[in-house]
Amino acid sequence: MAGVTRVRRQLPTSPWLFAAPGLLVVGAFVLYPFVTTVVNSFTDRRTLIPGRFVGLANFRELIHDDMFWTGLRNSTLYIVGVVPALVVLPLLLALLVQKNIPGITFFRSAFYTPVVASIVVVGLIWVWLLDERGLVNSLLETVGIGRVGFLSDQWLLLLSAMAVTVWKGLGYYMIIYLAALAGVPRELHEAAAVDGAGAVRRFLTVTVPAVRSTMVLVAALSSVAAFKTFSEVYLLAGPDGGPAGEDTTLVMLVQQTGTGLTGRVGYASALSVVVFVVTVALMLLVLRADRRDRP
Amino acid sequence: MRISRRAFALAAAAVLALPLSACGSGGDDGGSTDASGKVEGDITFQTWNLRANFKSYFDGLVADFEKKYPGTHVKWIDQPAEGYADKISADAAGGTLPDVVNVSPDLVAPLAKAGLALDLDKAAGKYRSEYLAGAWASHQIPGTSGTYAFPWYLNTGPLFYNKTLFKQAGLDPDQPPKTYDELFADALKMAQHSNGKVATLANVPTIEDFGRYGSQLMNKAGTGFAFNDAKGVELLTKYKELYDAKALDPQALTATPESTGKKFLTGAVAMNPGSALDLDNFKKQAPGLYKNIGITDQITSTGHVNMYVMGVMVNSRTKHTAASVAFAHFVTDAQNQMSFAKKVAIFPSTAGSLDDPYFTKEDGTDETRVRIAAAKSLKNAVNYTPVLFSDQMKTALRNEVAKTLQGRESPKTALDNAVKACDRLLRQEG
Amino acid sequence: MSTAPPVRAAKESRFTDEHGRRIRFGELALRYVLLLVVLAVTVGPFLWQLSTSLKGPTEDIFSSPPSLLPEHPTLHNYRRVADTIPVWDYALNSLKVAGANVVTNCVGSALAGYALARLRYRGRRIATLVFILAMLVPVEGIIIAQFTTMRELGLNNTLIGVVLPGSISAMNVLLMRNAFLNLPYEIEEAAYVDGADAWQRFLRIALPSVKGALAVVAIFAFMGAWDDFLWPLIVLSDPSRFTLTIGLNYLHGTFANDERLVAAGTVIAVAPLIALFACLQRYFFRGVGEGAVKG
Repeated sequence: MAGVTRVRRQLPTSPWLFAAPGLLVVGAFVLYPFVTTVVNSFTDRRTLIPGRFVGLANFRELIHDDMFWTGLRNSTLYIVGVVPALVVLPLLLALLVQKNIPGITFFRSAFYTPVVASIVVVGLIWVWLLDERGLVNSLLETVGIGRVGFLSDQWLLLLSAMAVTVWKGLGYYMIIYLAALAGVPRELHEAAAVDGAGAVRRFLTVTVPAVRSTMVLVAALSSVAAFKTFSEVYLLAGPDGGPAGEDTTLVMLVQQTGTGLTGRVGYASALSVVVFVVTVALMLLVLRADRRDRP
Repeated sequence: MRISRRAFALAAAAVLALPLSACGSGGDDGGSTDASGKVEGDITFQTWNLRANFKSYFDGLVADFEKKYPGTHVKWIDQPAEGYADKISADAAGGTLPDVVNVSPDLVAPLAKAGLALDLDKAAGKYRSEYLAGAWASHQIPGTSGTYAFPWYLNTGPLFYNKTLFKQAGLDPDQPPKTYDELFADALKMAQHSNGKVATLANVPTIEDFGRYGSQLMNKAGTGFAFNDAKGVELLTKYKELYDAKALDPQALTATPESTGKKFLTGAVAMNPGSALDLDNFKKQAPGLYKNIGITDQITSTGHVNMYVMGVMVNSRTKHTAASVAFAHFVTDAQNQMSFAKKVAIFPSTAGSLDDPYFTKEDGTDETRVRIAAAKSLKNAVNYTPVLFSDQMKTALRNEVAKTLQGRESPKTALDNAVKACDRLLRQEG
Repeated sequence: MSTAPPVRAAKESRFTDEHGRRIRFGELALRYVLLLVVLAVTVGPFLWQLSTSLKGPTEDIFSSPPSLLPEHPTLHNYRRVADTIPVWDYALNSLKVAGANVVTNCVGSALAGYALARLRYRGRRIATLVFILAMLVPVEGIIIAQFTTMRELGLNNTLIGVVLPGSISAMNVLLMRNAFLNLPYEIEEAAYVDGADAWQRFLRIALPSVKGALAVVAIFAFMGAWDDFLWPLIVLSDPSRFTLTIGLNYLHGTFANDERLVAAGTVIAVAPLIALFACLQRYFFRGVGEGAVKG
């Protein structure tokens, strides 16, 4: 018996066996291709033509490319527009569905539906809703506001795409907050209530501090996702990214320049590398803020 | 949606593919260009979004071929409209390109440059005379020799207009515009009468519009673009005028073929280019409009209308060159193109086929009228879009055109910029 | 899970007797009004799509004010979808791919997550970092490299090739890691003292406590595989192996201007996901209690 225990404790390889399948898949199909991408970013490779080493030429070209700055602007605007909404609204929603009143399970599940639906389907649904003759405009016209060109104006398009992102993300982050709220001691609320604090005050003095680290997490996840936005804008504004390409995001630019038979793989790889570096930086920034805030 | 646009305009497309099972690991063991061997072996034939509507036609086609050449086996596969270029790119890069591939000229160009398309002048030059000269030439690449795909079906179409809207604007519904000047004048009048509510055009000008207007587009050697010439600038200046007057739909900058089609159906736009295919759609979706629909010829300043061309190329790495060439020719021969044309509103690219009574004899229906007019115009039609004009270049031109319409750049500056960007891409894309 | 019952008890006590009747009713009514508003916003778009798909060919779908319900509901559009593409064959392929993806992700990420959270070994931090970095890679740029790898493995044009790259996603591994981290150490330590090896502790003690997190992973894995379009399109050549998303793209490519048909297609695509979620939501919300999604 003692011998068996000794053998068991002696298996130093077993943790790696546990992690091996995951590391293998992620390594072979995500990290290895990405290393190729990094290598490609220093070449002038095209889809069908092998590249030559060109040093930093792609990165230098990038700085002088107007579309790169447009993409950077839009991806950054996306963070500014989407992240505050996704940090606050799902929290309010979580508070709304937190209490176990009759039928609440139904509401919770229902609020989660947009998360479950695929982004392509969501795109088709919203294009149809925001169409010049779609439901939203029909309603606006019925109440006398008149039709709005959601899908033709540069800024309205970007706003609409952000709205879809928020709409689809509400349920997802609501769940994260629900988990956090479950851990907030009820006594805190009750003490505050006894002190005569109103709902808003209690929210600000009890709830927010209690879920603060979760808010930081949500901010981190949603800003990384927002910076990498592709589908929402692609589906609403079209592959060219709206009028004069003004709604193009960085990842859309990766796709536009790098795919197809004439794709400039080298240049698109350089763009990918920039996107990656910025996301890592964002993540570090938020984690750092989190560490500082942690009690 | 770039691809669905093409698919929409053409209704369909096809590709021939190599049998993947037979592909093995063969990387650079290029097949031979000699198509004179025995026609035998397993080949794969890939079409582009044709299965949904034409399954029985292709099943029959394959069966006929296998019967004609015992010892051959053709596997037919079909790809959806969207993502087609991505699919071919991955296959080309991974060495899994099918033996015979349905392509459009702009897809052939990069494949040919990478040495993946068989030069048919060498391998199948004897068939050249079977096709319309213009169609055969559409898969040649400026600056290089060789022809890299059999021409398959062609399409072109008339201009549809809404007679009711013409009448309301005080225009003669039986005198539709015949020249660009008339078109622009009518469009401005239409916008004025409707207070900017009804536009006449719904699309921003694309490369083929510049070509049809008389711009040179590209130098003869294929080394640089030239659509910033006087004609090009003139066309864009006109469009800017129309846009400001709302004679060009204010949402033209984000228009898709689907959205403009819808606008025409609902009477928000007075004219729309289309093809015989659309008639059926009008009948079903907007019976009210169908009664008042006018049909007129495509407007062109060069005397040649625009046409779309689909081709069938042979993979240069195929293991069964003879069978692949034979099958690509079989699909595109006069007899099979003719029977395909009778199934759907497309036109054969084989010489003489357009003289068939099917394309010349009126029977009183609108469909036939449109078909006959289109067939007539196809005999000297031109595929204006240069084969070297890549998706990235299309985006560059589109963005510059949009900047002009928004008033951020003069037409001349915008086109100069677009030409500069396209020239650079041309060099980079090699 | 452990938090759910007390929370419920707290809620019920709130709504029974200690508050005045009017206030209780008022607050309850306000809550339901808000819940219904959010319900309309989150689920409304799906219902509108369903309504559009049930409208017959003669019904005006562009009318203003919009007609919310079909006048003569018909399944005509669904029949046309089935006539155009072999819906059942494609759905079966999708089911195989999604099912396999669920199994590999649940197994693979539970193993790897456990290794990252619980097992002590050198290199654990690096292994965690590998998964975090993999999560940040912009995947839009690496698809051709992935295909080339698949081709070298001889797995192109197989359903295995479709499943493999996403078979263990970094995101899911990190989700499972968090779930295991949130389990109290004490129980496992007791087992450790009793001589249970890593495998036994994982299987008998840790795993049964994270069923909820597994449900979350299962839903994400199913969704991801069910929705994917570009990757299966590129990997598969043989139409008999196509998945439903590719099939539905035929509809969009062939009948782009027929809103009713496209709507029917989207309903077919999204319904199984909603059904799956409805079945699993009980475990899912329990997973939330375990802090599966919590930071």
